[in-house]
Amino acid sequence: MKSINLCLSERSGPGAFRLLVLTSLLLGPLLFPALSAAVNLSGDSRTYLQSRETAIDQNILGVYEYLDFAVQNVGNETISFHTGGWLRYDLRDEQFGRKSNNDLQYSYLSFRAATDNTVVNLGRVMVFEGVASERVDGVYARTDMAAGFGISAFAGNPVETNSDLSGNDLIYGGRIGHQGGDLYRIGVSALKVEKDSDDYREEQGVDLWLHPMNKVDITGRSSYNGVTKGWMEHAYALSLGPFDKVRLNTEASWINYDDYFFRATISAFALQPGLLTPHEGVRILGQDISYAATDKLYFTADYKNFNYDIAGNANYYGGKVNYAYSSVSGSGFSYHRMEGESDRLQYDEYRLYGYTKIDRTNLAVDVIDISYANAINGVDNSYSLSVAALYDLNEAWKMGADAEYSRNPDFDRDVRAFVKVLYRFGSKGGV
Amino acid sequence: MTKTSTKLLLSLVVPLLLFGMYACAHTTSMATVHPTEVPAFPVCSDCHTDSRAALNHTSDFSTTHKFYAVQNKQACTICHKESFCSDCHAHKEEIKPSDKYKDSVERALPHRGDYLNQHKIDGRVNPASCMKCHGRSNNERCRVCHK
Repeated sequence: MKSINLCLSERSGPGAFRLLVLTSLLLGPLLFPALSAAVNLSGDSRTYLQSRETAIDQNILGVYEYLDFAVQNVGNETISFHTGGWLRYDLRDEQFGRKSNNDLQYSYLSFRAATDNTVVNLGRVMVFEGVASERVDGVYARTDMAAGFGISAFAGNPVETNSDLSGNDLIYGGRIGHQGGDLYRIGVSALKVEKDSDDYREEQGVDLWLHPMNKVDITGRSSYNGVTKGWMEHAYALSLGPFDKVRLNTEASWINYDDYFFRATISAFALQPGLLTPHEGVRILGQDISYAATDKLYFTADYKNFNYDIAGNANYYGGKVNYAYSSVSGSGFSYHRMEGESDRLQYDEYRLYGYTKIDRTNLAVDVIDISYANAINGVDNSYSLSVAALYDLNEAWKMGADAEYSRNPDFDRDVRAFVKVLYRFGSKGGV
Repeated sequence: MTKTSTKLLLSLVVPLLLFGMYACAHTTSMATVHPTEVPAFPVCSDCHTDSRAALNHTSDFSTTHKFYAVQNKQACTICHKESFCSDCHAHKEEIKPSDKYKDSVERALPHRGDYLNQHKIDGRVNPASCMKCHGRSNNERCRVCHK
């Protein structure tokens, strides 16, 4: 196996946004000659202006443009085109060593049949199938099969920040699932990444949904690392909601660090003392109970235990109350306490928020306060206060602004501001 | 039977079996758009009693939606556009989701408030929760400090 140099490079390249624009402006009209009556174009433009100070005393004033759109019914009602990306330009200090930046988040031509839930996506696609949560430049396909079976497969070039390795770079995988009516859904899946013909990642997994009765669900998955030959994760959740006003959620997970953090592309996940302890493992057990006192008033209590093989224990517990005055206004308060064996894992966390709509203006306020048992950088209390407003000009246009003030172990006084202009065009539907 | 002939048999039988199962599927595809307007935080079980009832957007859905998405992402796309997912599950992202939607205080969004300090705590408690979004992509911001 090659040794991996954690000198990181950017896979998508600086031309990603240009690709989006070119794809949209050039290929679009060429491929879809009748941007005509039958074609349905919809999308969103989100323009943001963000002002903030960084931890290294830079004053950031960045302008962002996020553009997402879909073209439905491209010559045929089964074919559509979806694309989205963003562009940033700094008006003051540059961020991340670049005056401007961009990203093509997704861009694919999609075929979706009227029968069998057959889908074929070609381009930059996000794949969520069993063990795979991957962005891929390539092809993804799935279809129903007889007797409740379904099958999916994908292949292409992984879109990730990656280690510097020469040679080819290929990801492929798939999932076979079976659904037994409304009683269960189970799948087995696998993915493999080859770099220069070496097995770089190899994962297999089982995913599960059990529905023994209405409002009772067991969900989860187990993932196995075929390279390190160990279980990466078992994660399962039980939701019980058949009671009139009470809902219970239980979650349990087991994570083995050596297998789980394998082939991360950022040094923060390196298994070495001071970062992640090698051979560490954690079992997480959580329980929450919600009680709807009325249609408008909810109480939730939650508890989570972290049991580490090496580091000891930590408990996180607390509760929250939410009150909805109407469909557009409400408020909430929460309190949580973290009790861990290390100094940093001992704090109390409070949050109070409220929101309302007056005429066409949505207003929101949010206060978060964290009190540390042991001061961090000489600070034993961290807080942030934010106020936000969003004005609906009409169905298509919205304008908003917010400001946040905080004091924390990294900033004596941190003031941030954010302005946004949102424009939705084309057909309604979806968020 | 030799190893070679077994492989040959499998390479013929498996595609034929898959094609046969595909040809006999005869299911109707899901709607591409939900036929009625869906409110924020929908309670799907108000109308559905089949598997779709499990998709209620209750308070725990922010932690359990991953299980449903990896089994049946198509169900998500009935109400959500791709950009809804990529706001958090990003390739490269410079703005925190909670900054984009600061006016939506009722939503469960990651990294609210001062997260520069808090990430050092959360990263100790459960680094696996960071890995999902920042392990192999969307870590350009992380690399400012984590060289």
